[in-house]
This record gives sequence, structure tokens and C-alpha cells, in this order.
Amino acid sequence: MTCKETLNTQSYLDGALDGVAAEAAERHLQSCAECQAFAADTADLSDALRGATRFHAPDTLRLRLAKQLDRETRPAKGFWLGAASGGGVSALAAGLAFFLLLPPSAATLAQSVVDAHSAALTGGKTIMVASSNHHTVKPWLAAHAGISPPVTDFASAGFILTGGRTDQVAGRPAAVAVYAHGNHQLDLFAWADRGAPLPAGGMVRGFRTSFWKMGDLDYAAVSDMDAGSFRKFVDLAKAQRE
Amino acid sequence: MDDRRRRFEAQALPHLDAAYNLARWLSRSPVDADDIVQDAMLRAFRAFDGFRGGDAKAWLLTIVRNCWASAGAAARRRGHTPLDDENLVAEEATPEASAIQAGTKKRLDVLIAALPEEFREVLILREMEDMSYREIADITGAPIGTVMSRLARARAMLRETAKALL
Repeated sequence: MTCKETLNTQSYLDGALDGVAAEAAERHLQSCAECQAFAADTADLSDALRGATRFHAPDTLRLRLAKQLDRETRPAKGFWLGAASGGGVSALAAGLAFFLLLPPSAATLAQSVVDAHSAALTGGKTIMVASSNHHTVKPWLAAHAGISPPVTDFASAGFILTGGRTDQVAGRPAAVAVYAHGNHQLDLFAWADRGAPLPAGGMVRGFRTSFWKMGDLDYAAVSDMDAGSFRKFVDLAKAQRE
Repeated sequence: MDDRRRRFEAQALPHLDAAYNLARWLSRSPVDADDIVQDAMLRAFRAFDGFRGGDAKAWLLTIVRNCWASAGAAARRRGHTPLDDENLVAEEATPEASAIQAGTKKRLDVLIAALPEEFREVLILREMEDMSYREIADITGAPIGTVMSRLARARAMLRETAKALL
């Protein structure tokens, strides 16, 4: 390398320049064969590096972190003894104790799915791709969430596929197929299974939830519809195949 | 659940993979990476009230990098060097020779792992974690000009050793 502008060309390629500086770097690049070769090499290397390993935090670590955060956030012991002996604490203590009994990662998962569902409802952003055609929704989810669960329209059973969106479940990308049932909406989440324990399901903050594993994906259904309809949907969803 | 934990889980936890990836590439050891990240997340959680918006990813990676640096300093005081990741670092052969022996998927990993740490970290932060020069400077505590020259050097070294793979 003999061109003195190489470092500047690199800054330009890395998106570190803007405005006049970027224009000047672009002009230089167009006239300097050496920087053009450098740009091509840098791009080739970047492409190749996409094949290198980007490590993921193991689930054992996630579990240990959840426990550690539980210890950090748990009130001091004296509070519990006081609360337990005080009587008349049913609502508060029962709510908190229920939470502590769940494995932390499963509790986090249940919260996270319900958070995502209610955030989508209140934000009005339940659907990113609107379509009742599973041939449209499935590839869209595969392209945008990197996850390709089976997507079926259960309109004949009263659950109409209205579209899909990408979301996050406990910090991981998830694909969501969205269904309508009367005035109720149901979100069917799917994310890559990493061996984490799944919550038992049931009511979480007013929403019905159900969790299951199938193939290499974890699934969660979340809705405020009635218990009978919800169970019927979950049975249909569990029975669907690619 | 308390509010700080909720905000932490919403803002910091999504970057756990980035934190682990950086720790793993810095330490080149799965065991050390676990310890570094656990330590870093705890410190991050305790300091989270002081985090006022901005980019949580860069903030978290700065803590990871500091934890790694202080773990390294503690290990050196005890007089032992961290275990190298057997998957990433070959024992005797030169990096080039062991890269050819390793599986296709692992070849590039071996060559990256063989880069000296000050070059390895800027490469990982830029190419895998998509951090800006300014963010890399903040995370590594190096001036921005140093970041630029280290990145150029890291790329040149890797291009040289990875010639056969590119």
C-alpha cells in the first residue's frame, strides 16, 4: 500500500464519513486503482467473515443469569418472615410466591410472550404483513424473522389468518402468525428451541397462554379469547404440519 | 417484577449474545466467557439506574470488555494464563497449517483466534457487532485513530493468512 488515503478510504467503506468528507472519499476512490483494489479486498473479507462463528450465549448461562437477577431483585428475608407471620397478605404474597416457584427462565418466557402480545395490541402494530394466504405469510416470516414455522389458515374452524409479524421473545427473534376469532386476536409465536424449559401455560396478566415444542421450534399461543376456543385453536396448531 | 429488572430485560438482555460473542472471542475460552459475561451482566444490572438511554449494546460491551481486562489482570497476578479454546486455537502447528486441517466452517475461526488481541477485538466489534469507530474507541479505551489503524492492520493480517479461503 503506497496510497496515503487508504485509511480514509477504509473509514468511508465502514460508513464513518458523511457529507463533504464522504463525497471527497468517493471521488478519490473513483480515481485511485489502489484504493479500488483495497475496497474489493475489504468487501471480500467482510463477506468471508459472515461465515465465521458468532457465538450465542448458552442456555445454562441464561439460566444462571436469571437466578442471579432473582437474587438481586428479591426483597430482604426479613420482609418475607414479617409478611408470612402477618396474616392477611394472601393476594400480595400469593402473587409473588407463585412467581418465585416458576423456574426463572420459564417465568421470563411467559412474561416476555405476554409483554410482546400486549405491546403489539396497544401499539396497534400487530401485523407487519397482512394476508390471509399462508403462502404469503410463511415466506415473509422466514425472510424477516429467520424462522419458518408452518402457517395454516384455520378459517373453516373460525380462526382467520390475518397476517404475521416479527417480534422478540426473551431477547430472541420470533415469528408471529396472527389470527382473528370474532373480536379477539390470537398471536401464535414460534422461536428456535434451545432446550430451555417452557412455562406450563395458563393465565398470565389476563391472557391465556399455552406453550409447546415441535421439531426444532418452541411455540406459544397468546390470546384473551374464551377457554374453549383457545383450547380448540391450540389443538389445531399442534396438529398442523409443514 | 421490579421496574429496573423489567427495563434491564427489555434493553440490555437482547444484547446478551453480543456480550457473549465478544467475551468468547476475547478470552477464546467458553468457561472464561461464561464467567466474564455473568460478572458483566451483574455489574451492568447494578449500574443500570445510571444508564440514561443511548446505545445499550455499546454500553454493555464496554462493561464486558472491562470485565475481561480485569479478569486477565487477576489471572496474571495469580500467575496462570487462561485456557485456550481447543476448538479455536491449535497447539503446535502454525495458524495457516492448522486452518487447513480444521473443518471448512472452522478455518476462519482459527485464523481470527490467532490474531493478537488488540487486533482481534476491533475486528470482532466492527465486522461481527457492527460497532462504529466511535463506539469501538469507547469500548476499547483506545483513541479513534488507533482504532482505525488497528482495524486496517487486523484486516491486512487476516487477508494474508486467509488468502487460500477468500
